[in-house]
Amino acid sequence: MVKTGIPRLDELLGGEIPKGKSLVYYIQPGVEGEIFGLQTIFTTLKKGGNGVYIASSTSPGVTREVFRDFGWNVEGFKENLTFVDAYNSLIGAPSDEKYTVSDPDNIENLNEIMITLMQESQPSTILFGSLSTIMDLCGEKETIEAVRSWNKIAMLYDHVIVYNFTAWPYSEQTLKIIKNDIFDAVISIGGIAERVIFGQYFSIFKASWAEETDKSMLFRVFRPGGIKIFIPKIVVTGPFNAGKTTFVHSLSNRAISVDRLGTTIALDHGHVEYKGFSADIFGTPGQKRFDPVIKLICGEAMGFFLVVDSTKPGDFARAEQMLEIAKSCGLPYVIVANKQDLPGALKPEEIIKHFNLPQDVPVVPVAALDKTGVYDAFEVLVNKITGGTR
Amino acid sequence: MNDFMLGIKELDSITGSIKKGSNIMLIGPPMSGKETILNNIMYNGAVKNGNAVIKVTTRNPASQILEWFNENNMSLPDSKIGIIDCITKTIGKEAVETENIKIANSPVDLTGIGVKISQFFEDFFIKKKIAEIQLHVDSLSTLMMYSNIQTVFRFLHVFTGRIKAAGAMGLFLVEDGMHDEKDIITLKQLFDGLIEVKIENDSNFIRVVGLSSKPTPWFEFEIDGARIKILGEK
Repeated sequence: MVKTGIPRLDELLGGEIPKGKSLVYYIQPGVEGEIFGLQTIFTTLKKGGNGVYIASSTSPGVTREVFRDFGWNVEGFKENLTFVDAYNSLIGAPSDEKYTVSDPDNIENLNEIMITLMQESQPSTILFGSLSTIMDLCGEKETIEAVRSWNKIAMLYDHVIVYNFTAWPYSEQTLKIIKNDIFDAVISIGGIAERVIFGQYFSIFKASWAEETDKSMLFRVFRPGGIKIFIPKIVVTGPFNAGKTTFVHSLSNRAISVDRLGTTIALDHGHVEYKGFSADIFGTPGQKRFDPVIKLICGEAMGFFLVVDSTKPGDFARAEQMLEIAKSCGLPYVIVANKQDLPGALKPEEIIKHFNLPQDVPVVPVAALDKTGVYDAFEVLVNKITGGTR
Repeated sequence: MNDFMLGIKELDSITGSIKKGSNIMLIGPPMSGKETILNNIMYNGAVKNGNAVIKVTTRNPASQILEWFNENNMSLPDSKIGIIDCITKTIGKEAVETENIKIANSPVDLTGIGVKISQFFEDFFIKKKIAEIQLHVDSLSTLMMYSNIQTVFRFLHVFTGRIKAAGAMGLFLVEDGMHDEKDIITLKQLFDGLIEVKIENDSNFIRVVGLSSKPTPWFEFEIDGARIKILGEK
C-alpha cells in the first residue's frame, strides 16, 4: 500500500494506492506538478518502502539535489532507492548508476531495463520522473505501448507505478489514451490563469479503486516542505471584543492587525501553515458600522469562523446578526466558543441552544489567549472546506 | 513609456511600438552579433521602458550574463530581471537561486523551464504589478540540440500562446545555418515577425520583417563597445 503523502489526496484516493495499480499525474505545462511524483516516492521511502526513479529529463545527481531542495534527504535511503539513468547518455556524460539506458532515444533499450528491474525488485513505488520526455525522444505510439506493458508487469509483481506526464500539445489521440485508457488513476494538475497562471490546483480525474469525486484542491509548493493545500481566504468575524484579533494571532504563524485604541478598525491578517494546509486569514472589525465589510470579504472567501465570547450571552444576538450576514455568502463555517478559560463560560452545547442552530453546526471550545483549541477549530473548518474526514 | 520597442531608433522609427502579444524570431548566422542585439533589447526594455524581462539562457550561466551588463556599464534593475539558467547544473557547477535567478535542471527539462517561466510571469504580473513583460529565449538552437523539432515546437506552441494571453513580447534567438530549412519554416509559423541578421563582405546587416506593413530596409550595423550602432541603409 502506497500513500502519496499529499494532504487530502490520499483521503480522496480512499486512503492509498493499492499494490499493482498505475497512476499518472497529468500536468498542464507551466504548472509545478512534477513535485507530486517526488512527494509520492519520498513518502514511500519514509514509510520503509522501496522506490525506483526513472530519470529522463535530468541526471540522477541533479534529481537528488531537487529532493534536497524540498528538505528530503534521499541519501539516507541508498539501500531502498534505485535510479534508472535515462539521461546522462543523452548528453554524452558517464553514469554511476546500476541501471543505465545507453540509448534513451530507443524505447526497446529502456523497456528491457524496466522489465528486468521490475522482475528483480521487491514491490516498489516506481516513478517515471518525466514520461513526456520519454515520449518526446521515443515517439508517442511506441511510448504508449511500452507503458501498457510496464503497467501489466507492475501489476504482476505488486509494484505501484507512477508517472509524471506534462500534457504538451501531443496528438489528440495520445492525450485521450493517457487520460482515459492506460492508467488506473489520473490526477489532473492545472493552473488558474487570467493573463498569467496565478494559482494551481489538483483534482482526481479518475481512480478505479476510489469513489468518484469532483473536488478540486488549490495547492502551493514550499521549499522545504513540498505540497500544501492552499486556502486563499478564511474570514474571522464576531461581535466587538469577542477575541477575534487574539484568535487570528494565536492561529497564525505570522499576523498583523490595524488597531486604534485597542480595537480593530480595519482588518486583522494572518497566515497559517498547519498539517499540510496553508491559509490566509482575514479578521473583520466587530462594530456594526463595519458590517458591509463582512459581506464584501466573505464574497471571496472559502469559509469563516464566527468568534463569540462564551461568557457574554448578551452579545449572542449581535453574533447571530453577523452570522446571518456571513452565511448569506453560502460558506462553510465554525463557531468558535472563545474565552473558555474564564469563569462562567458557557459550554458549546449551551451556546448552540442560544443560537437555535442545527446540532451538526460545529462549535469548538477555544481559549485563544493560550492557543487552546485554536488548531482544532482550524482543522474542523478546513475539513468542511475541503470535504476531508479527519 | 511602457511599450515594447527594440531600442534601435532606425528600426523603431519604421516599426513603431511592437504590438502586445507579439512573438518574434531573431535569426542570423553565428558571430553576427545576435546576442549583443538581444542584450541591447533587454537593456532597453528594462531600463528605458520599465518592462520586466525574463531571459531563458541555455548557453551562458546567469552570472556571466549579469557580469556582461555590469562590465559594459549597462546595469540592470534586479527587480525587473528574471533569468532562467538552464546550463549551470548541466555543467556540474553549484547553482543557487536568487530573487532574479532561477535554475532549471537541464536544457532537456522543458517542463521545468516552463514552470520557471510561469513563476516569473506570476512574480512580475501579480506580485510586482508590472504588466509589460518580455520573454527572451537564448537560444532555440540549443534547445533543438537536446530535443527534436516536434518537442521544441510543442513547447513553443504553449509559450507563444502564453505570450499572447499575457500581452507580453517574446523574442527567440535562432542560429541560422544550424538547422534544416524545413525546421525553420515549421518554427516560423509560430511567430509574428522576424529580426534578421546577415553578414556580407565582412559587414553586418539587420532588418525587421512582419512588424510593419513591409520589411524595413537592411541597415548596416557595428558593435560599438556593447552598443549597436547603425551605420546606414544598405
